[in-house]
Amino acid sequence: MLVECQQCGGEVAVPSDAISGEIVSCKDCGSEYEAVIGSQGTIELKSAEKVGEDWGE
Amino acid sequence: MRLGIAYDRLRYEEKELFNAAQKSGYNPVMVYLGELTVDLTEGQRKLKETASVVLQRCVSHVRGLHVAAAFENVGVKTVNSYKVSSLCGDKMLTSLALAKAKVPTPRTLVTFSPEQTLNALDALGYPAVIKPVVGSWGRLVTRVRDREEAMSQIEAREAAGDSMNQVYYVQEFIKRPERDLRVIVAGDEIVASIYRYQPGGDWRTNVARGGRAETAKLSGGEMETIIRAAHAVGGGVLGVDAMEGPDGLVVHEVNGTVEFRGAASVSDTNIPNKIVQYAASLVKR
Repeated sequence: MLVECQQCGGEVAVPSDAISGEIVSCKDCGSEYEAVIGSQGTIELKSAEKVGEDWGE
Repeated sequence: MRLGIAYDRLRYEEKELFNAAQKSGYNPVMVYLGELTVDLTEGQRKLKETASVVLQRCVSHVRGLHVAAAFENVGVKTVNSYKVSSLCGDKMLTSLALAKAKVPTPRTLVTFSPEQTLNALDALGYPAVIKPVVGSWGRLVTRVRDREEAMSQIEAREAAGDSMNQVYYVQEFIKRPERDLRVIVAGDEIVASIYRYQPGGDWRTNVARGGRAETAKLSGGEMETIIRAAHAVGGGVLGVDAMEGPDGLVVHEVNGTVEFRGAASVSDTNIPNKIVQYAASLVKR
């Protein structure tokens, strides 16, 4: 599914099997989003978090 | 059996764990922290019913610790446990556990002031390594070649003003080949072993920094050291990092939320399946 990029208005492709928390990016401007999939299959894009100091493995 | 996967950012690993759990019929439940509310006073039953066992897979160490504590509080087994995650999330605590279990490690000193850090580095000799106590992917892990470089590094950390960066974890630089070992352990089993070769222009070997993975074959003694390291922090699903030093293997890190994309790209073992089977084995079917 294609969702409008909040930064540049381009298209962000969200895979049909996407799970909440999946990172998707705009193919035009490269902005990264976290996909949040609602119970009815709705898709919301939240700006992806920046890497935190406690991130890692 | 319901196998929960608690996560805050969906990586390759969490997707593969979900697929492996689904194939095994473990009814995977994705617990996305972005949409989770833990009711500490009245929500115990709801949280307990989420899953029989939870794989804690948060990219944020702090979030991972808190969600593990919440699940453990209602009696849900968490892999890794709060205790193991807290030890692995802090390099000093990991080193203390390894030293207690007499696992060979690089000589490590911890200091709390710039002056004492320089003294510690002088005592270790140059080159030496300065690491943040919390952090991963090789971030801010710095090799200092001499006193002058050390002073610049210390100044930069002091200027950043972050209290975690002002606990100085200072380590001897081990003369090793241009690679280190990453060994994925689940319980008592070595699941996969890889060499991580440092990329051009960097001395660090982290796959997150472009390190190249290649399968590794461990000797019996090396396997024993790795398993001892895993047990030293309390066991579970772990990524043990070690270097081939002049006197044998030395363990320098144990990762509590191990990423395995690099290892999976070269290993014949189905790593996510091994992890899922281990987690399932901890609870009654």
